[in-house]
Amino acid sequence: MKLLEYEAKQLFAEEGIKVPTGILVSKHEEILLHMDAIKGKVVVKAQVDIGGRGKAGGVLMADRDTVIETARKLFNTTIKGIPVQRILIEERLDIQHEYFVSITMDRAKKQPVILFAETGGMDIEETARKNAGAVRSVSFCPLLPDVPGFLLRELCGDAPSDIQKTVNRLYHVFCHKDALLAEINPLVTTPGGVYAADAKLIIDDNSLARQGIAVNRDLTEREREAEKHGFSFVELGGTIGVIGNGAGLTMSTLDLIEFYGGRAADFLDVGGGADSERVMHAVRLAASVPSVKVIVVNLLGGITRCDEVARGIIASGVTVPVIVRIAGTNAEEGRKLLSEKGYEMLDTMDLVVKRAVEVVK
Amino acid sequence: MIYGDKKTGIIVAGATGRQGEYHIGLMNEYARQVGGRGVVAGVTPKKGGQSVHGVPVYNTVKEALKEQDATASVIFVPGTAAADSIMESADAGLELVVAITEHIPVHDTMKAMAYAEMKGCAVIGPNCPGLLSPGEVKMGIMPADLFSRGHVGVISRSGTLTYEVVDELTRAGIGQSTVVGIGGDPVIGQTFADVLERFAQDPETKAVVLIGEVGGNLEAEGAQNTDVPLVAYIAGVSAPPDKRMGHAGAIVEGGESDARSKIAKLKKMDIPVASRPSEIPDLVRELFRCRC
Repeated sequence: MKLLEYEAKQLFAEEGIKVPTGILVSKHEEILLHMDAIKGKVVVKAQVDIGGRGKAGGVLMADRDTVIETARKLFNTTIKGIPVQRILIEERLDIQHEYFVSITMDRAKKQPVILFAETGGMDIEETARKNAGAVRSVSFCPLLPDVPGFLLRELCGDAPSDIQKTVNRLYHVFCHKDALLAEINPLVTTPGGVYAADAKLIIDDNSLARQGIAVNRDLTEREREAEKHGFSFVELGGTIGVIGNGAGLTMSTLDLIEFYGGRAADFLDVGGGADSERVMHAVRLAASVPSVKVIVVNLLGGITRCDEVARGIIASGVTVPVIVRIAGTNAEEGRKLLSEKGYEMLDTMDLVVKRAVEVVK
Repeated sequence: MIYGDKKTGIIVAGATGRQGEYHIGLMNEYARQVGGRGVVAGVTPKKGGQSVHGVPVYNTVKEALKEQDATASVIFVPGTAAADSIMESADAGLELVVAITEHIPVHDTMKAMAYAEMKGCAVIGPNCPGLLSPGEVKMGIMPADLFSRGHVGVISRSGTLTYEVVDELTRAGIGQSTVVGIGGDPVIGQTFADVLERFAQDPETKAVVLIGEVGGNLEAEGAQNTDVPLVAYIAGVSAPPDKRMGHAGAIVEGGESDARSKIAKLKKMDIPVASRPSEIPDLVRELFRCRC
């Protein structure tokens, strides 16, 4: 789950990283309550989960006199189509130099990897593209509690030692908060010390419970319904609903739809060992996607029993046509149940997908 | 054979849970059919002294090893305790850990993999269906009746898609030497490269089917460094960017982690890539035709 800037900054501050003094508001009028804290120049920042927020007009400059009007304007705009619901008003820092630091995982090495650049800011991706040497990286054993000093020196080069300390603190955030990504861009030096001017933090979905996060708010309503039943679910905007068991098989079914010239409406993996009730909920969920015209069920029974699958499809009672391919455990019985109710069935995933594409056309 | 054979003694961690109990039954049924040793001990803390399908349960792996001869473990322990269980097996000196568990926090996995590597223990998974060498050994949850013995190895990041491909191969009369599910998480133990290294040493294996998906770059990395003849299939051509497609590791995150980039890379290495699973048997046959 992605955290918003102000949430990430709270967690950064807990690990001893300096962040600018800020006020969070959800209406421009609320700023009146905080005028004492607003001394001079400020930055008005939309709290939206959007990359390239600054370039899209989500970060504005203001001072004590203009802050309310600036916030009002920002609340009335959308940033890349996303409405602005919260705004962070921060003291404007006297920036001397901007750096970039980002910590993530190297899948091949199975280790944390830290990226660092001596020129941070909005154009970091452009910088990296133009000059491969501009972004340095180090990775190291994940059993170490700190970034080793020699690697910090290698990584940060001539940057002040407070920068090195901050990078190590960011590594603590990365570990303690179960982060998939912890990033500061820009990390800045000011006369008052080193500050995280921005903050990015993505928490591992498998760790939300132990991080005390009850609801994954990245999810839409239908995605939340899916989560309740333990399904993996992604909406894709096409007309052919897809239900499969196992992520690979379901993905492969989507690809086959594209191969035969159709477009999938969703990816729905019911997981292993689904019983009739889970299948029923899955079919109803896929049918609730507005663009769906036909549903393909592609299930390979191992732990999953095909007779249970058939009962679930029948119990769903949806009006959208459901075309079925079931194979494996108790497939005979499942097919018998479905054929009694007049469901269309085909023997292979190629055939069932081809048929669905025809139905839609 | 790679990773194990009939003589391999297996410990199941998380033996008294629903999944553990169910699959001890299936693994030992398979062992009986092929005349293998199968699961010789279960481990669940505080449940020592019980038995599951006649298999004795111990409190710890070390206790189990005092009385039973085993070299591998299969892990069914739930998410947040699973990494600890992997390290326990590695610490007790087992050569191989097969981690079936899904939803392990990735920081835990990263630490457990580093620890196991220090102890010289190979880990398959996590979030995987395990492995099966037809006629020899089953360590995990693969449905054995789809498999047939032969000379084609399979390495895959998924579960049911692997069964689909194995089923296609079996129906086409192409038997398998060993089928390994390496797992769908972003951080996994044995990678395509590691398993291919084992297959390269295995006289039973003449060719390998590599089943990849979106996310990461491990398919090409593996294919690059092997002389074993390969056929590949990559799932997720239609996967949108930044969406997790079921597996924690199946996510297109910029760079070259999308299916088309992966396919292009493999084709550049002259590896035949199937555009759908049903094409795989034909491509495997062609591979053999070319070589004889």
